[in-house]
Amino acid sequence: MASWGEASESRLIGKRIPRLSGKDKVTGKAKYTFDINRPGLLYGRILRSEVARANVVDLDLSEAEAMPGVKAVLPLVEVGRQIRYQGQEIAAVAAETDDIAKDAIRRIRVDLEELPFVVTEEDAMAENAPQIRDDWAGNQSEPNVREEGDINAGFEQAAVEVEATYHTPVQTHVCLETHGHVAEWEDDENLTVWASTQGVFGVRNDLAGHFNLPANQVRVITEHMGGGFGSKFGPGVEGRTAANLARATGRPVKLMLTRKAEHLVAGNRPSMTQHVRAGATSDGRIIAYDMKGYGTGGISSGAGFQAPYVYHVPNRRTERRNVAVNVGNQRAMRAPGHPQGAFAMDSLMDELAEKLGMNPLEFRRINDPSEVRQAQYTLGAQEIGWHRRNSVPGSGTAVKKRGIGVGSGQWGGGGGDGTQARVTINADGTVEAVTGTQDIGTGVRTAIAIIVAEELGLNPTDVMVKVGDSGPGLPSGGSGGSQTTASVAPVIKTAAAAAKQKLFERVAPQLEASVEDLRVGNRTIYVVSDRTKTIKWELATGQLGMESISEGGHWDRELRQGGVAGTQFAEVEVDTETGAIRLIKIVAVQDCGLAINRLTTESQINGGVIMGLGQALLEERFMDPQTGRMLNANLEDYKVPGTFEIPEIKSIVFDTHRKVTGVGEPPCIPTLGAIANAVYNAIGVRIRELPITPDKILTALAEKKA
Amino acid sequence: MEKFSYVNATSVEQVTTLLSDSRWGEVMLVAGGTDLLGELKEYIETPKTLINLKTLPGMEGIKVDETTGLTIGALTTVADIAKHPTIRHHYAVVAEAAGSIATPQIRNVGTLGGNLCQRPRCWYYRDEATNCLKKGGDICFAVDGLSKYHAILGGDPVYIVHPSDLAPALIALGASVKIVGPEGEKTMLLEDFFTLPAANPFRENVLQSNEIVVEVQVPPAKPNTKSFYLKAREKGAPDFALASVAAVFEMDGKTCASASIVLGGVAPAPWRSKEAEAALTGKMIDDSVSRQAGADAVKDAQPLNDNAYKVTLTQNLVSRAAMMAAS
Amino acid sequence: MPDKEKKQGTNISRRNFLKGVGTGTVAATVAPSVLIGAEKEADAQTGDAVASATIQLNINGKPYQVEVEARTTLLTVLRDGIDTSGTNIDLTGAKLICDRGECGGCTVMVDGKTVYACMMLAMDAEGKQITTVEGLADGDNLHPVQDAFVQHDALMCGFCTPGFVVSSAALLSENTKPTLEEIKVGLSGNTCRCGTYPFIFDAVKTASKKM
Repeated sequence: MASWGEASESRLIGKRIPRLSGKDKVTGKAKYTFDINRPGLLYGRILRSEVARANVVDLDLSEAEAMPGVKAVLPLVEVGRQIRYQGQEIAAVAAETDDIAKDAIRRIRVDLEELPFVVTEEDAMAENAPQIRDDWAGNQSEPNVREEGDINAGFEQAAVEVEATYHTPVQTHVCLETHGHVAEWEDDENLTVWASTQGVFGVRNDLAGHFNLPANQVRVITEHMGGGFGSKFGPGVEGRTAANLARATGRPVKLMLTRKAEHLVAGNRPSMTQHVRAGATSDGRIIAYDMKGYGTGGISSGAGFQAPYVYHVPNRRTERRNVAVNVGNQRAMRAPGHPQGAFAMDSLMDELAEKLGMNPLEFRRINDPSEVRQAQYTLGAQEIGWHRRNSVPGSGTAVKKRGIGVGSGQWGGGGGDGTQARVTINADGTVEAVTGTQDIGTGVRTAIAIIVAEELGLNPTDVMVKVGDSGPGLPSGGSGGSQTTASVAPVIKTAAAAAKQKLFERVAPQLEASVEDLRVGNRTIYVVSDRTKTIKWELATGQLGMESISEGGHWDRELRQGGVAGTQFAEVEVDTETGAIRLIKIVAVQDCGLAINRLTTESQINGGVIMGLGQALLEERFMDPQTGRMLNANLEDYKVPGTFEIPEIKSIVFDTHRKVTGVGEPPCIPTLGAIANAVYNAIGVRIRELPITPDKILTALAEKKA
Repeated sequence: MEKFSYVNATSVEQVTTLLSDSRWGEVMLVAGGTDLLGELKEYIETPKTLINLKTLPGMEGIKVDETTGLTIGALTTVADIAKHPTIRHHYAVVAEAAGSIATPQIRNVGTLGGNLCQRPRCWYYRDEATNCLKKGGDICFAVDGLSKYHAILGGDPVYIVHPSDLAPALIALGASVKIVGPEGEKTMLLEDFFTLPAANPFRENVLQSNEIVVEVQVPPAKPNTKSFYLKAREKGAPDFALASVAAVFEMDGKTCASASIVLGGVAPAPWRSKEAEAALTGKMIDDSVSRQAGADAVKDAQPLNDNAYKVTLTQNLVSRAAMMAAS
Repeated sequence: MPDKEKKQGTNISRRNFLKGVGTGTVAATVAPSVLIGAEKEADAQTGDAVASATIQLNINGKPYQVEVEARTTLLTVLRDGIDTSGTNIDLTGAKLICDRGECGGCTVMVDGKTVYACMMLAMDAEGKQITTVEGLADGDNLHPVQDAFVQHDALMCGFCTPGFVVSSAALLSENTKPTLEEIKVGLSGNTCRCGTYPFIFDAVKTASKKM
């Protein structure tokens, strides 16, 4: 049975290894889609609607078309169709320079007949709201109702009850490299696209379908990409438009979204509002849970969230609805549905524990079915100094008050079948590993090198890894669901093992040994039973001549596993006069399965925590009910964490088993509840709406005082 | 940005002449550009010509004189103000305000003149498609809209807040501003330089279309002076003030001989709180005196839908500054 | 249904939606493959207005001559500019991320001080020493900051990294032994969305030991 072996046997796997792309990234040599300069390159721009809902009455491209330097103008909406959100595409331009393209889209004339719109959930659900979706009465989907156990019997057993409403607003991905493509046609039937994507093959297949081409006549390249977080799978309107503009002009076209468009149309995490009533028994078991909630994913559906979350509730009823608004659609965002659900659930847990007069950590221990998290609670509590928390929340007279809180999360991330890869050993001793996955910043390129190097007794830098290119025709899935490493690693390992086997077969006769008796290490193949018999790596490979060894692999299920648990503890300091929250420390204990590279795994945990703290303390999309427009489609008023927001973060790679699993998403989940509970512990006032900003703190403190 | 022509200014006279010969908004001035380029990129402004003031001789630098005080040229960068030893030592409120502005990259190019003359950050004003009152439209959208970052004092009929950090600090020190126009130069109290929307909804100061700010003068630092700039933000940086307080105290032990309290981020102009000053002057500062000063500072506040918290926040910042003076 | 536009007193109209259309248009003569869109009117040194000009830039110690419009930003020249000899400048390390001087992706040094290249007009950079992330290493020898960023994994997707590297190098050139708080101040004009900050702080500390 395939296995990764024991930790003691691993020379590279599980160690801290700097990523292979590091040097290119720190010197500016790394070329992202945004950096691709092609001979004859044109610049694309898209004119977007500034109104939320309107009928398109007329569209006149002529003035733009007549501008010097403009090479193509394409309509993206038909006269007579309806605009359904701000940012919706109207027309696109390709021009000799980006500035000309910007000038040109301003000279496109569009006549819009404005219609009543709704951009907030409250307005959408109001009695006289305009109906913006024909299929949803009152702009709401049919409720999704689920029941388990006997909720009435549950509440009868409850010694305490909590009833509360929790809310998280829409968050946007804020990929630093905006969505974008460079499209270039070699001829009428061969298209190359550099794409800022999480799914090279997904983009290839979409574009091949769009242009009715055989898939292998579209090549998609993503050598480096600047963040996706779930929002970058297909080519989208902008990707197809780039290819259409390139086709129309016969020249390569670069079309990157503006920062504003990135906020408006490139996806977001849906909002969540949930009204929950829950009860617990006097011995500390959550016994009943009744939740009615909704969220908006824009004009589309997809506003789901986890409720209840993590903790076991035997009797429960949940009812969820989607609310439609005239705003750009949601897309998957780092652990879709989980952070929202975790914030509400962990807040609820603390509220129930307080009513029971129970330590919130003890209350979790009673209700958490995960053995892994039980161990993590012990470790995390020790690291944060849980005993230091306020036994009476909000007690004391200090202006600046400290508090400690805890939150939890879970995720799948076990990978999936479908990746093809090749590991090649060349006569000159070089080794290549090729697969069609993409490195979106997680470090999978380095993980691949580590696995191959471990297997072949080399160093990671000895392995040339080629990812992010559909050209070699070795497909792999999109980088979503924290599935990448668990999907790719088993295939790479088995491919490397197969290549090694082939090389051993080649040299076994001259070493007068059986293949089973051979090992490789330190660039030398040796015989286990007689260590005097060796052959240097280059001498062995030198015999291959023109016949490189090139082997594929397979997705061996035994090498990966899904399901990870995590918990986080936060310590905060709240200035009760200004409402400012300073994070002191966050301890993240994250089950990672087998961490191929401990260094990049820690980076991912840090990153999850920081995205989580942004959602907890800063991030919110503001939609103006008067104009239908987003008021903070920038990085000034849409606030993402900066250096001052970063506390001491203790990221603990919590080793559980020796199988590969994914960890990209889960560390952003428990942060929200941990921070919200820490704030409560500090000031004794609960903020049930994220982000927890100074206005909410000051308002809540004033209400408490009154 | 729309296209424009660029002029490297050679003299103040040339600048005022060019301004005089053009319609409002056709010719605009630029120094660091960190504010103006944002407006051009949003097409809030579409000037035909930009005059680059950075090439003007003699308008950059900080001069310290024991009898006349401090003179800061309008082209002096925020970074140079923040790190100037005399300012740090004797005019702490200015150094603290300068150091709180935006980011290192902005402070390296942003200038004193630009900081004083910057336009509002209001999210309705900064949206090209929203024709708000400030841009010649009919209403201030903050009144019925999302007003978390808007004014609680002096707003009617435009509820922007003035974004400058240096202005409240300099006003609190009694600074004057030197302005040059076609008729020559004039000097006025910086406090009088700023205007409220009730007087002119389109502008934040009294600068005429053909005048430029050339320097700011700060009276000599008085002995026994303590000064502070307290700035509340949602995010460490870059972030404009939710509310800020520039406070300058002449102290005699714990007794406040005089106080100068100027609020930022809460009104369309830097807001001098004579009420808070009166509550402190001549008093031995203790908890209740400082609280009274805070309460007096906001007693005329009229919050909008989303910014009542600013009343509490401002009150607390004023009280905190007073307590810091006494400690 | 009441007319939302009238009811709420908004002032959005089709006219306003198209605001700017046709305003201030200058007859544009486009020279393909260069950045200019208008004829040069006069020389910048004389105090006359210029719509475009050929300017000399010193980037990473190398002289470049490039034709720009008045509105062309330094960032546009670095990334998309074409030298009058016909070569792409192609210094794509500095990125356009927020396009408003808020995120630091386009950070470069001008005369040793960090600036946002997206908020600086190219004409203003004439005669100054411009250093981009590509100019920090000495051949194959990485700048200590670059080396420390790699060793500490102070990057993930890497899109913000050039800006952080330049800001870190500038910080250490002014303050060779910064405290954690000083590092946070020094890098407060740069934004990372992947959340690499803790390792960036570590990297700057490590690099400071080699300065």
